[in-house]
Amino acid sequence: MVNDAGQLYTMEGVAAGIIMLLTAYIVVSTTSVYTTGDTHIPDMQLEQLGSDVLAMMDTPDTAGGESSLLGLVNGNKGPEFKDAFLNYCNATTSGAIDNLHMSANVTYRDASSNVINEHSFVTPDETWTGRESAVRVTRWVQLDSQPWPPGPVRPYGTRAQAVLVEVLLWRA
Amino acid sequence: MACMNEDGQWIVLMGLLVAVGMFFLALIINQSVLVGQTTAEGVLEFPKNDIRDLRSAIFDYVDTELPDGVKEDIIAISLERKNAVVNFTVNQKMDVSGRWLHPVTIHYNNGVTVYNETVYY
Amino acid sequence: MLSLDFLAGFTIFMLALIMVVSMVPGLLAGLQSSGIDYDAVAYRTGVILVEDPGWPVYPSWELYGKAQKDEIQRMGLAVSKDTPNVLLSTKVERFFENTSKEDQDPFFTPEDYRSKVIFGDIPYSYNFSLNISHSDGTYGLKQAGDPLPPGYGYIRRVVKIKEPSVAEIDGSSRPEYIISNPSAPEWQTSTARNFTVRLNFSQLLDPSVSPAYRIDPRTEPVNVTITNFEAYLNITEPSMDATLHNVTFLKMDPTRPNPRFTRIPFSYDTIDPNLYTLHVNGTSDLHSLQPDVPVKSSISLVLKPAATSLFTLDQNSILDIRFNFDHDPPQTNITGTHLYDYVNVTRTDLKTAVLEVAIW
Repeated sequence: MVNDAGQLYTMEGVAAGIIMLLTAYIVVSTTSVYTTGDTHIPDMQLEQLGSDVLAMMDTPDTAGGESSLLGLVNGNKGPEFKDAFLNYCNATTSGAIDNLHMSANVTYRDASSNVINEHSFVTPDETWTGRESAVRVTRWVQLDSQPWPPGPVRPYGTRAQAVLVEVLLWRA
Repeated sequence: MACMNEDGQWIVLMGLLVAVGMFFLALIINQSVLVGQTTAEGVLEFPKNDIRDLRSAIFDYVDTELPDGVKEDIIAISLERKNAVVNFTVNQKMDVSGRWLHPVTIHYNNGVTVYNETVYY
Repeated sequence: MLSLDFLAGFTIFMLALIMVVSMVPGLLAGLQSSGIDYDAVAYRTGVILVEDPGWPVYPSWELYGKAQKDEIQRMGLAVSKDTPNVLLSTKVERFFENTSKEDQDPFFTPEDYRSKVIFGDIPYSYNFSLNISHSDGTYGLKQAGDPLPPGYGYIRRVVKIKEPSVAEIDGSSRPEYIISNPSAPEWQTSTARNFTVRLNFSQLLDPSVSPAYRIDPRTEPVNVTITNFEAYLNITEPSMDATLHNVTFLKMDPTRPNPRFTRIPFSYDTIDPNLYTLHVNGTSDLHSLQPDVPVKSSISLVLKPAATSLFTLDQNSILDIRFNFDHDPPQTNITGTHLYDYVNVTRTDLKTAVLEVAIW
């Protein structure tokens, strides 16, 4: 009654079982777990917020007035720029203060040598380790020629020029 | 065995079918997680604020009576820091329904998005 | 008759199949198809609110009453499409109308918010919060929607809000509106004393002024405040208050061949706070536009854009608001026309605000 004619069925069954188990294991172990950082959604939120803040700082409150961003860049006032920027960024509707940090550079062109230079406007604070996922937002600022005699010479030169303010924004 | 008994092959076939089905299901699940990601990446990739900012910088340039060097500033810094090729021309004022406005032509290309505009300002 | 070996093979196969099938639900765990795009929907809603003026634009959607609310296609708070991130105060007030009051229904139902701001097939829950920082350091919070759950999609936008302008006529600093020679013969023929505030629309709607700073009486309230009215009283009469007889609206279209001022038909005798408010002497009582009340110190008239839209004005019209004081003998020496333009009017600064949108 018992013969080895059915050994084939057993072997086939074992082979089929091994195939299924192997596939299941490979499939389950390769399904990636996406953290929220991988989806770039926090980057999108930060970038929109940073662009908004720079745009609002560049909008004069009164018609024909000077925007606060222009005044700060013209006068090379790094600490005041940092305070004003972070005030805008960290304000929420519930009154809680968010935990965003920033550093800023001003990029300008040296007309005589046609070289692009960077002036460090706001240095990063102690929360900057270099490994945060930081977002860069920029804004153009048109500077008028500095009158003669000039006050403290601004680092970009005295001619009328367009400079680019770059802000790095990260969540600590 | 005397001959190859192929009756059991249907068991392996079923096993293979189930494996293929699992593979297909996992593929669908893998793609679905990307829905939120590609939306955010699409938003980040489109230079909405860059183009708006560039237009406002060019309008400021027109407002301040076209000072020298500003156009070269914008083109050079855009290429170097924003990775975008920018070009713009401001022509003589012309009469547009009763107002005297400059025709301004703007070209922006950051490798992914190309933007061309002719506007009267 | 099944052989034993076949059964053994088949059993091993079935056992393996059952193990695999029981592992499949683990693949699908943690997957919610509707939860993936909360952040994307919140971002899109934020863009519609902050960068879009809404549709329809002329007449603007915030002027629609409850009866025509269905004709609104999209609610956006921006002043215009050229001024993103600058919001108009009348749109903000309409959007958040009655959302914080316990005893009144909000102007827009949750279904309105879903179909006119959020869009999409899934009925999302929402929470909109706007925190405005006033110039004196206080904050005003406006909210619409449900309280926040533990997890939600979120976007935060920084905006500035444009408030309406005020024409302030201070009696002590505006002597040009006093009749210099009250006993001259031209002032003896009539006892009517008129003071006019003139809005020249072609001057106000100047396209060279950015919409963020433009005065637009079609979308913003017109506020005329006369203070220190004692300077305009007729001091030769023993201390008498002037009686404000009526306030009339006149319009003129200068592009017509024979332009002249015509009186605008309006329900001058009904008090309707949705169309205008008239306060006299600083009290909180509302008056109609035919008040016949004695004025001692101040008059404050706010003409809402809902009323201005009834006047059928176009961008070339001239609108006159005439304050008529009539009494025998005349009790006031006020006269003249005050131009409501960019020189004479006090414009408030743009106010910074934070808007947060949560979707779940």
